[in-house]
Amino acid sequence: MNYKPDESTLIAYLYGELGESETEKVELYFKEHPGALADLRSLNDVRNVLGHVTEKEVIAPPVIESDHTVRPLWQMPAVRFAMGMAASLLFLLVAGRLLGPEINYSNGELRISFAKKAESASPPATLTQQQVAAMIEASLAKNNAAQASTNADDQRKLLQTLADINAKKIETLNSQTSRASQEQVRLFVANLQEQNLKIMKDYFQLSTADQKKYTEKLLVDFSSYLQEQRKQDLQFVQSKMNYLEKNNNQFKQETEQILTSLIANPTRKNTNY
Amino acid sequence: MRRKDKTPVGIGRPQTKEKPPHPKTFYPDPPSLYQIHLNLVFVAETLPDLAMMHADALIARAREGDKNAQGKLVQLWYKRIYNFSYKFFFDHDLAMEVSQKTFISMHKNLAGLQEVARFKSWLYTIAVNCCREEVRRKKANRSLSLQDLNPGESEESYHWEASHHRSENPERLLRQSELSDLLQACLMQLNAEQREVVIMKEYEGLKFREIAEALNISENTAKSRMYYGLNALKRILEQKNITKETIGYEL
Repeated sequence: MNYKPDESTLIAYLYGELGESETEKVELYFKEHPGALADLRSLNDVRNVLGHVTEKEVIAPPVIESDHTVRPLWQMPAVRFAMGMAASLLFLLVAGRLLGPEINYSNGELRISFAKKAESASPPATLTQQQVAAMIEASLAKNNAAQASTNADDQRKLLQTLADINAKKIETLNSQTSRASQEQVRLFVANLQEQNLKIMKDYFQLSTADQKKYTEKLLVDFSSYLQEQRKQDLQFVQSKMNYLEKNNNQFKQETEQILTSLIANPTRKNTNY
Repeated sequence: MRRKDKTPVGIGRPQTKEKPPHPKTFYPDPPSLYQIHLNLVFVAETLPDLAMMHADALIARAREGDKNAQGKLVQLWYKRIYNFSYKFFFDHDLAMEVSQKTFISMHKNLAGLQEVARFKSWLYTIAVNCCREEVRRKKANRSLSLQDLNPGESEESYHWEASHHRSENPERLLRQSELSDLLQACLMQLNAEQREVVIMKEYEGLKFREIAEALNISENTAKSRMYYGLNALKRILEQKNITKETIGYEL
């Protein structure tokens, strides 16, 4: 037999990573070449010796997220400064509007006043006493004349209107006395009809309002009943969900424990010996 | 020859015939959840498979930017990457640096991972690249630190911190630690290419296909490197008179 496994095949055999047919071939080769088997066993001894290197225990550092987070626009320093300035300006404008300040500068004098206009510097009085007395007198005379003319006019108008009103009243009284009987009957019947109509209308309105109120109450009751029922159902579902979550967490923890142990102990000596 | 199989019972190859233990203890009451679990078990067959499905889901979520899932991935894989780097450099500080760089790179590039199933080899690719970068950097800075001159002493404090087998015999622990360092020194005598493959296969439990993927070489090349690496180690161990028997006597 000319078959001679190369080093790759031998090492794959040593670690149990060879296919079945290849394994059979190699084992057959070892039967015929015990020296090669001894060599491979010596390599396995080396592996066993290497197994005495101890694992170092180390604690994984905590994972800390970097501070490089995106700041919202309103937290940018420039925006905050601008917003502060705008707010101050707005405050000043509102305060100004409410207090009504007035700043005036005249004759080398600065006046700041609130809620009241600054007194304007009026020119000094130049009229004499005689002039003022003459002006008052002239004004009084003018006023008296106007008063007298308006009084006479008003009196005339008043008399005229009184006469008109009296004439109208007398006329209506005369017409009423002539049509008294027929008109009264018609009025009475009309009033009666109107009252009946009003009563019927009120009755229907009241009845409809009651029915509406009753239906609304019924609907509200039913709605509250449904809400209560829903609340209870939700509580039930919530408790079930909590229970499921609790179990799921336990399951997760156990799985993670298994995973940790699998990853922490990876060495498996899969030899063919 | 004594078979030294460290595989725990129930973990390892998929067990197609054996049913998992009755999950009544996990889910006492609701039949729906029990049904879900049964369905999952039906799909996954074994608990390790189930855990692997969970891991795949975790990777998929992390790839989509879930910070929590990314954090969990770091927690799960940090020890492995640290130990890989430590064995490659035999230096705690360098191993820590490489581990951190690896996970930073993972965080940056996870969105570009095409297949979730290739996460493991992808992660080791990053780790190997980081290790090679450190080697290049070390070559560029030829200066030797005091630690390089006497690496054993610098590791002392770390060993004390890392010691968690308090109940065990301290003398035995010390011997084990010394032996481990000795073997580690032997590993350091291999060339980098062989060392990568030996560590990935022997300590990280990667398949040759995964090693080939991680190192971007053919599967046969990975196997050849392993073969020659083991042979080289055999010679180194013989030179130092370290054998199965001497180890058994020492411990």
